[in-house]
Order: sequence, then structure tokens, then C-alpha cells
Amino acid sequence: MQTHQYDVVIVGAGGAGMRAALESSGRARTAVLTKLYPTRSHTGAAQGGMCAALSNVEEDNWEWHTFDTVKGGDYIVDQDAAEIMCREAIKAVIDLEKMGLPFNRTPEGRIDQRRFGGHTRNHGEAAVRRSCYAADRTGHMILQTLYQNCVKQGVEFYNEFYVLDLVLAESEAHGGEPAVAGVIAYELATGEIHSFRAKAVVLATGGAGKVFKTTSNAHTLTGDGMGIAFRRGLPLEDLEFFQFHPTGLAGLGILLSEAARGEGGILRNSEGERFMERYAPTIKDLAPRDIVARSMANEVREGRGCGPNRDYVLLDLTHLEPAHIDAKLPDITEFARTYLGVEPYTEPIPVYPTAHYAMGGVPTNTDAEVLRNNTETVPGLYAAGEVACVSVHGANRLGTNSLLDINVFGRRAGIAAAKFAQDAPWVEMPGSPEQHTLNLLEDIRGRAQGERVADLRRTLQETMDRDVQVFRTEESMTEALEVVQQLKERYQHVVVQDKGKRYNLDLLEAVELGFLIELAEVVVLGALARKESRGGHFREDFTKRDDENFMVHTMAYRTPLGANEQRGVSIFTDKVRLDYKPVNVTRYQPMERKY
Amino acid sequence: MSTTTSADSNRGPVVTDLTTKSPYERRTHSRGNFELWSWLFMRASGVLLLVLVFGHLFVNLMTGDGIKGVDFAFVAGKWSSPFWQFWDLLMLWLAELHGVNGVRTIINDYTERDSTRLVLKTLLFLSALLVMVLGTLVIFTFDPCIDPNSTLQQCTGR
Amino acid sequence: MSVDAPSKKPIAEAVEVPTFQITLRIERYNPEFDTESHYEDYEVTVHGTDRVLDALHTIKWDMDGSLSFRRSCAHGVCGSDAMRINGKNRLACKTLVKDVNPDKPITIEPIKGLPVEKDLIVDMEPFFDSYREIMPFLVTTGHEPTHERIQSQADKDRFDDTTKCILCAACTSSCPVFWNDGQYFGPAAIVNAHRFIFDSRDEAGDQRLQILNDKEGVWRCRTVFNCTEACPRGIEVTKAIAEVKRAIITRRV
Repeated sequence: MQTHQYDVVIVGAGGAGMRAALESSGRARTAVLTKLYPTRSHTGAAQGGMCAALSNVEEDNWEWHTFDTVKGGDYIVDQDAAEIMCREAIKAVIDLEKMGLPFNRTPEGRIDQRRFGGHTRNHGEAAVRRSCYAADRTGHMILQTLYQNCVKQGVEFYNEFYVLDLVLAESEAHGGEPAVAGVIAYELATGEIHSFRAKAVVLATGGAGKVFKTTSNAHTLTGDGMGIAFRRGLPLEDLEFFQFHPTGLAGLGILLSEAARGEGGILRNSEGERFMERYAPTIKDLAPRDIVARSMANEVREGRGCGPNRDYVLLDLTHLEPAHIDAKLPDITEFARTYLGVEPYTEPIPVYPTAHYAMGGVPTNTDAEVLRNNTETVPGLYAAGEVACVSVHGANRLGTNSLLDINVFGRRAGIAAAKFAQDAPWVEMPGSPEQHTLNLLEDIRGRAQGERVADLRRTLQETMDRDVQVFRTEESMTEALEVVQQLKERYQHVVVQDKGKRYNLDLLEAVELGFLIELAEVVVLGALARKESRGGHFREDFTKRDDENFMVHTMAYRTPLGANEQRGVSIFTDKVRLDYKPVNVTRYQPMERKY
Repeated sequence: MSTTTSADSNRGPVVTDLTTKSPYERRTHSRGNFELWSWLFMRASGVLLLVLVFGHLFVNLMTGDGIKGVDFAFVAGKWSSPFWQFWDLLMLWLAELHGVNGVRTIINDYTERDSTRLVLKTLLFLSALLVMVLGTLVIFTFDPCIDPNSTLQQCTGR
Repeated sequence: MSVDAPSKKPIAEAVEVPTFQITLRIERYNPEFDTESHYEDYEVTVHGTDRVLDALHTIKWDMDGSLSFRRSCAHGVCGSDAMRINGKNRLACKTLVKDVNPDKPITIEPIKGLPVEKDLIVDMEPFFDSYREIMPFLVTTGHEPTHERIQSQADKDRFDDTTKCILCAACTSSCPVFWNDGQYFGPAAIVNAHRFIFDSRDEAGDQRLQILNDKEGVWRCRTVFNCTEACPRGIEVTKAIAEVKRAIITRRV
């Protein structure tokens, strides 16, 4: 085993991780550990834009943006956090421009802005042009720009290092409470274990979309950061709120940006009807994602779907000028051509909702400090991006707010972590901190026969798609819970064929599956307990929002692994405990959510 | 268990045990403009050679008696004029340099070992030098009356 | 056309997707057991809409778990899975099986010119080293403006093509010059230099041009056009290199 020591260790090199690294590397010795090369991160798949009330093309105001964010999140957004995000959005966009991001421009040469779902003028009057964009590859440009600036600053990366454990130790200096001591990482190239001692750790590992089968998420988005925190006894907040993006390529889940509708695209059912007029008369196709996704699923369920199995609806761009499509939506039209053989100039594109974004995650406060219960933080532990739940997205994230989230809270996490590392004392690593990770890996690798990883994963993903997707019921989720609990049992017998050390991605997938199963259970339990419908969480047996009982954040806990756990792959606990945390309401009282 | 701490110099990720001299690590930085001029020269000489070569072919093959007219006397006649001496000299030098530079490029691109590269390039440059020196010498020291019994106009008129 | 007119083709592709058998011939190499690489054949059933990546996943997940390859986003934006498919550099996730002559065995090899680590995984460090050498970041001097820098859309469009690069290495590893001599900067590094050289906001163009004026810089490009053909993002790579050459000549001569 190799040991390393840094002031700040950042886990994950997507948008949030690299934004944090840009802040912290100038202030403290920083290492970025990432299981992928930084430019492979899924930030690069984001398309539409990043909203900020710049008022470059029409009157706008960050307070309106805050309102839209709170309303879009079905009022379970922590409003102090949303205010910070929307206020700092303006600086975040300008910062990116100064770093070199090639935004599309207005005729005056300023950053151009366009409409996006759920973003409105003056508290819902009409759609507003708020999204700053670079064609339909804004996320790609953000990821590249951040990486470029990391190269410029000489940020130290450990590429293809997979962090498998978070080391917490009780620390005298922090009043005997658990504090960060470091992380344990597995080097993919050699199979070697590395221990990184650090004063501060920033989790920026992204989402967990792979708990679902149809998803816009990358194969590598397996909730690793959420999983390692959860196993160490830290809570997960609001994981039942999962966003299903309306326009995934039918059958594939590949994302077609909301920008397609922002630029004038229209959703139609098999009768050619623009059905969103019925569901959201004011802003129609630009309603928030949860509403559009549910409307689409409803059209299909009521027999107005298209295709041989009537299982999708159509995104119609044919009335737009091909030149306009090429200028504003080049990538996504290419996806339609490549993967479905559909020519968007002349044919509508088959689309269906796809699992897209985890609103929930590791709970943090507005300085990105991770909470270990409703009020107390873990000294030295930070989280930002999709892995975290601040919560600025509430029950449903507005389009473009994820790119905003990673930039605003990535930056805050980097600054806070570096500042903490400058003042804080080192926390002693416990003896053999790597033991749990070694056991975990060797148990799987050492098993001679058993079940294939892929079989379990398929069962998990198909179950989640069938039972816990856009429409949820007590019955469907009880069934899903049963399957997930069986999978926990079956996971004890999972086997890999590759027994080697170097680039053992077979082993990696087995470990990732463990996180997925663990998180799926939290999703289902949280959703079962939330007997209401709110944002991305829609219960057919409780179709109304219930502010009296459920205007609270879910906090899920499990029994933590011991400091020096010897349990190997029996990593799951029997019991997940659910608790609740109040929502921070500042100026917007919950109202009915109509568009 | 090996231990590297923050003070350690090799704290960066050790991805592969590359040999001390990686074939990828850029060894030198040239700050001159040689490759630039060489690239420009290839284009310029190429264009010029098109004119020179086709001019040469046209005069030799299309005018007068065509190919049947090309003999010792014909060459002697041409080289008695400084214009054709200069034309042929330019053509020789440009063609040789253009070719040598092209082959140099190919050697650079396709040899794998530095020693092979050195040997091949040395041979190339020596051969080029030989051709150019000999060619130049021939053009300027060419004597049409080297045969004492020559019946050529230039010789009989003396 | 009226916006609310029923779409012309309400029920698209009302046909069952066919499935067929293919053979993948994959170059395998495991440094822990093998001294050199060998080919292995796999029979796979695929759907008409499957990508090569789906076929590789079928092998990894259901047949031979030891097969190793990088992949992430699976729709051509992350650049993880560049490989040689039937001798051509392609992203496995952007190449449909039906488009690569599935009647014959489909050959899959790691990209050329970079050291193979295992199966289809190559060492990307040399590639990123070249990238980092060309100063791939915006350089400006003087006071920072309080707002964004002003740039016209035309000025932005000047380098738009090369901003699409995802650093997958398909271009660099398709270049015959790079195959034989890892010293060459390679198309990807030049493309990323181009992105900044032609950015009206940037002030380090001359430095980058000086770096690329190196013996191993743009002048080693032989305009083979392999890179343009290989680019999964449709970047006109060779054209970008030519523009950099022209810029060096006009600024330095």
C-alpha cells in the first residue's frame, strides 16, 4: 500500500470537483482523485445551458430565478440555499466566461441567453431568456474549460483512482466527534491500494442514475460518493426525489436537451396533438421536467403513444428551419440520426422519459459542509454537485440548475475546504484504515463461483424502472423493496471472472453494484414513507402534495461500519432508519404549483 | 509497504513503470524556423519545378524535331546559352533538394531507431552532395568540342 | 408549415427491430499472463440498433468478464471508448453494428501508437502530455473586466469547430506519423491549440505558434487526412492544422 498526504483531497473530477480544485489548489495542497480521466466526466453530457439572471437579452432578476427554483422544486427547496445559488449564478457565469468558455453571443457581443423549462419572468408570468449557453454542448464546454484551467494552475490529478472508503476518526481536536482523516483509493492500473491522509475531503462524485435501466447517465454514475458516506453512518437526504428527463431517445435513454423545446420543439402524441397544452396551458412544453415527464407517461398509458408498441411520444422539430437547428442544436440532432436513424429536419423524434438526476444526496449546508444529522457537521467533510443535497433542487430540479449547482457550490466547497485545512489539525488515521477496502475487494475476487454481476444489476435496474419510476404506488414499491432486499442477499455470492490486478474493471463493476443496491433501497424506502406526491416523486395512491405532514426532508441512516470493519462484502445493514429534517423557508410560502 | 509522504518528490501518480526515457517525452525543443522554411521550400520549389520541368520537356520534345532531335549536338547547342545553363542548374538543384527533403521526411517518419536515422540521413546527404557537385561541374565545364574530330558548328567555326 | 399540423409520420418505424449473429474478433492482451497480444473470436447476438459498445458489453457481462475496455457516457460525448473497429478509429458507442459489415467478423483492436495496458485500454498519459504542452487555456493580460469580455458571434464561430474536441485520441492515434514517432504533438494537441490561437480573447497565440513551430509540431503533418476521417465529432482536423501552419507563416515570416 502507498500512503499520501494532502491538505485537501477532492474525490471526483467533474464540474463540481474541478471547480472546487481551482479554488482550493491555490490555497492549500490539493489532490484530485478520479476514477475516470477528468474530461470523461458526465458534466460533459449536459447540453442546454446554465441559468443566471444576467439580463443580457431581457429584463431579469435573481430573485425571480430563486422563486422559479423554489417553485420548480415543489417548495421543498431550502430557500436560503436557493437564494445563494441564484445570486451567485451571475458571478459563476462571468467567471466561466473569463476562464475562456466560448458562450454563444448576442449581436452586441455579450453572452446570449435562451428560454428554458420552468424559468419565468416575474414569478411565473411568462417564459424568460435566462439560460447562458454554448450551442447544445454547454456542459462539454464547462468541463473542458474547467479542465483547461486546472492544467493552467497545475492541479494535481490522480487519474483512474477509485475511492472506495472514507476514513473518519474520532478526534480530540474536534471535541471527540467523528472528523475526516482521509480516503482509501484503489488504483485501477495496478490494483494497488492507496491511502490518502487529508485534513479536508470534498466529495464530488456525481449521481447514481444507474439504479435505473433507462437513464441518461453514464455507465460510471453509480453513486459511489453517496455510498461510501452512507456506509460510514452519514445520512442521505431526499433520495426518493429522482428526476426523469422528459426527452430521452426512446428505448435508449440518451438525453435530448430541453433546449430543443426552448428553441421551439413541440411534443406530440400519436394523434399529432400538442398534448402539453392540456397539462400546462401557460408554458406548455416548457413546463418543469417532472410535469412534462408525467404528462408523457400518461399519454402513453392512455393509449396515445407512438411506435409499434405505442410506448413513446414524439418530439417535433420539423417546423424549425434546418439552419436554426444546426446553429442551436447540432449535437442532439446528430444523436437522433446516429442512434435512431431519424432525420430531425423532416421527421419527429421518438422520445420517452429517462432517469436523469438525483435531487437528493449527501446533505450539506450552504458552505458545502456535510451534515451528520439535522444540525451537526462532520469537520473536514464537504460535498458538492449531484452527490450533495444542499438542497437547492427540492423535489424537482429546474433545467440548467445542475450546471449552476456545480459551479456555485463546487466553488464554495473548494474555498471552505482549503480554509478549513489551513487552520485545522491533522486527524490521526486509525490503524490499518485500508482493511475494510481490502476485505471488500478480496472477498469478491476470491470467490470461485456464484452469480454474475450483470444479472443482479439487470434485475435491479429493470425492477426500478418498472416499479419506482414516474408513477409509484405502495404496491409497486413494496414489490421493488422485496427484490432489492433479495439482491442484498444475492450480492453476497456475486462472482467476477477477472482475478487479475491490472485494470480489473470486472471487480470495479461488482463494487459499483454494491453501491447501487444500497442506494436503491434508500430510494424505495424514502419513497414508500413519503405518502404524498411532490415534484419528481409521484404516488398514484397519494396524488396530492401534503404540506402538513411531508414538508420535510427525508434523512436516511444506516448502522455505520466500524472504524476498522472486518465484515468484507456483508456491507449492507439490515435496517435503514428514516428521519426528517425541516425545510428552510425564507420568503416563499408553499402555493399550488401550476404552470 | 512503501510509504511516500508529502515531502516525497515522486508523489504524482505512478501509472506505468515507463523506462527512464519514454519514447513520448519530448526530448528537445527546436526554437529555429528550419522546419517552417523547409515546409515553405517544398511548396515553392514544387511550383517552380512544375514550370522548369514542363518547360524543359516542352523545349526538348515538342519544338523542332521533337524527341528525334535530342542528341549530343542538341545538348551542346542548348548549353552554349547561359540561359539554358542556368535553367538546368536551377532544375537540378531544386529537384535534388526537393527530393532530399522529401526523403529526409520519410526517414524521420519511418525509422524507429536514432542510429538508423543517422546512418540513412548521412547516406542521403552524401549522395545529394555528390549529385549536385557533379551536376554543377558538368553544366559549367561542359566542352562541346571534347572530340577533336567534332563536326559541330561551335567547333568547326573556331 | 402550421405549427399545430399533425406530424407527417405519427407512427415512426413501425417495424420490429431485427436481431442477428455477429462475430467479434478482439485483440486481447493481459500483461499479467501474456507476452504478446492475440485475437479471440466471440459470437454475439445483437439487435439492429445496437452499437459496437453494446456487443462488447454483452461479451463482458455474459461471456468473458475479463475483457477490459474504457467507456462511460455511451453516447459519444466523453471520449472514453476510442478503438480500432475494422481498422478504423471509431468510438464504440457511436458505431452501429449494422454499419460495420456485420456479415464478416468485426475486428476490434486498441488504438495504435500508444502503449497497450490491457486489452483495449491504452496508456493515455503521453497523449495528455502533448495536450498540456500547447498551453490549452485562455491567457489574457491587463485588468479583468467586471462583466464578460465582449466577443462577436462571428469571432466565436471562428474557432467553434475545434471547441468540439473531446480528447478521445481517435485522431492522434490514426496518424501514421504518430504511429512511428511518439514525439510528434499529434492532431489533437494542434486542434486544441487552434481553439485558443483563433480565440479573439486570447493573447498567447504567438507562444503557442512558437511551440507548434517545433520540429515535432505542425510541420510533421503530411496532410494524410486520417485524423479528419477518424474524428467522431466531425471536426475538420486537417483543415485546422493547415490554418495553424498558415498562421505560423503569416506571423513569423
